[in-house]
Amino acid sequence: MKFISLVLKSARRSKRRTALTVLSVAIAVFLFSSLRAVLDGFSAATEASSSTRVITIRSTSMIFNMPTSHADAIRSVPGVQDLTWANWFGGIYKDPKNFFANIAIEPESYLRMYPEIIVTPEVKKAFLEDRTGCLVGSGLVKRFDWHVGDTIVLKPGIPYYGTQDYTFTIRGVYKAGSSAVDDQTMLFHWKYIDERGAVHGQVGWYVAQLANPDAAARVSQAIDEKFANSPNETKTDTEKQFQASFASMLGNLNLLLGSVALAVVITTLFVAANTMAMSVRERTTEIAVMRTLGFQAATIFMLVVGEGLAVSIAGGAIGAGIARVIINGEFLSMAGGFIPQFGVNNWNAIAGVGLGGLIGVLAALIPAMMASRLKIVDALRRVA
Amino acid sequence: MALIELREVTKSYRRDAIEIPVLDRVTITVAEGDYLGLMGPSGSGKSTLLNLLAGIDRPTCGSVRIGDTEISSLPERALAAWRARHIGFIFQLYNLIPVLTAYENVELPLLLTNLSKKQRRDHVMTALNIVGLGDRAQHYPRQLSGGQEQRVAIARAVVTDPAVVLADEPTGDLDAKSAGEVLTLLQRLNQEYKKTIVMVTHDPRAAERASHLLHLEKGTLAEQVKA
Ligand SMILES: Nc1ncnc2c1ncn2[C@@H]1O[C@H](COP(=O)(O)OP(=O)(O)OP(=O)(O)O)[C@@H](O)[C@H]1O
Ligand SMILES: [Mg+2]
Repeated sequence: MKFISLVLKSARRSKRRTALTVLSVAIAVFLFSSLRAVLDGFSAATEASSSTRVITIRSTSMIFNMPTSHADAIRSVPGVQDLTWANWFGGIYKDPKNFFANIAIEPESYLRMYPEIIVTPEVKKAFLEDRTGCLVGSGLVKRFDWHVGDTIVLKPGIPYYGTQDYTFTIRGVYKAGSSAVDDQTMLFHWKYIDERGAVHGQVGWYVAQLANPDAAARVSQAIDEKFANSPNETKTDTEKQFQASFASMLGNLNLLLGSVALAVVITTLFVAANTMAMSVRERTTEIAVMRTLGFQAATIFMLVVGEGLAVSIAGGAIGAGIARVIINGEFLSMAGGFIPQFGVNNWNAIAGVGLGGLIGVLAALIPAMMASRLKIVDALRRVA
Repeated sequence: MALIELREVTKSYRRDAIEIPVLDRVTITVAEGDYLGLMGPSGSGKSTLLNLLAGIDRPTCGSVRIGDTEISSLPERALAAWRARHIGFIFQLYNLIPVLTAYENVELPLLLTNLSKKQRRDHVMTALNIVGLGDRAQHYPRQLSGGQEQRVAIARAVVTDPAVVLADEPTGDLDAKSAGEVLTLLQRLNQEYKKTIVMVTHDPRAAERASHLLHLEKGTLAEQVKA
């Protein structure tokens, strides 16, 4: 439309002011898109997690372990169909910056109980047969450019596993079959680290498969009752609750981040509105001249809104674009296996641009009203 | 029938509770093709009268008719559309849009028409050539002298080919030479292009060019026959 170039020329009138508005919208949208992605990651994981698997940890904390003898006790609880266990190894690959989840599992039962971890039968066989073998997620392989057959050396991150390096051979790559697992994890044999560790027979968490999800509460309670008043009391929850409680550990942070993002968005809105009001006020005479030439009040209104929209969509696109590029699965994988598939996706980015546009339109409403309602003769007199 | 007819036009402004009378039952007729000069001391209501003719202000009572349109009773939207079609307005301070080139400034009123881009270009260049600034089309207002700016403003006023051109002290801010050029241009518009012109001025040299003169005094009219 022929008015578009008019809008763009107006936006370029004060380059510094326009640039600052673009920048502030960009920051607000960046923050918002990133936060949206985190929240999406949490809820996707919680949604997808199974309610027929219950997880047992030490009642005190996840970082304290339990003896292997708990396994038989849990198996004997009515309603438990299958059982597996795992340990958080916390190994460091070359540099602590290269953080990813690396977990020691009881391989056969773990793969049986987690069909979401997709591997071919050949890969599964190769992994099971090699005590020092490991499975790595497709995302990790991409991140570190690993190949099947490569040797991976991890430095133990927990004193418990000694100080000597652990060497693994990549036996295969798995794909994440649902949001309940991520593709950023390394899995290896529990036996291997148990034998070499300083303390033996320790388990980080047990996962029990239930025959019937409705029995989850009863079975969980029954498991915990088994270990009540023992030195190793437990706390059992469904995987869903477990994810949710993990998420709620970060929940306060979320609320905080959410409020900050909202505050930034609202502040940006006011700043943008004020800036636009200022520039409209400076243009009072010009607007009166355009009205004298026959421009309708409604056209002036649209031109001002269009200017706000153009500036803020530019800002939104920059903010969302940067978020899309730098906030992805490889970045900020701090939550390890617990917030799988976390990253700004195209939808988050589009929503971000939309938010930018919304900020622009809302910010422009009052200035546009001012511009379209001004009385021509008064505006002309003010300067003349 | 006269092209422009103001009948018994009264205009007063209300500031707080006080009523400020500006025009008191003014009646004027301007024939088609006339070039009317409007003089009078500051504050006598000259600009107010011109604004009423331009349809950017409304009389408190009385009638303003131009052609066969009674503009004092047109609703806001229709009035804006009417201005775009029938009125060219020239300001004392040129009032060009600083971020637009001379070309784009002149094109501005044409954006409200259905003309194609090419047709608009033809009209803009014709108007710029009439004012002698065809070679300055790509210059911004700040790159032009005051006289040139006012000539661009005149091109903008006539580019839609309106029947009536209104000018509020068009030479008020110009040196004698530029003022002379602008006045010659207005005279050409009147004689060659048959525009009906109403010009407010303090400047006796400007008044000389008009074919009729009217004198406003405290909101009432004292006609002066041109010497
Ligand atoms: N919007 C307004 N509100 C209040 N008073 C106004 C308004 N517009 C004009 N006036 C008053 O009306 C009177 C006439 O103003 P106008 O601008 O028409 O005078 P003028 O003859 O053009 O004067 P000048 O030669 O100085 O331009 C002045 O006293 C002015 O203060
Ligand atoms: Mg005046």
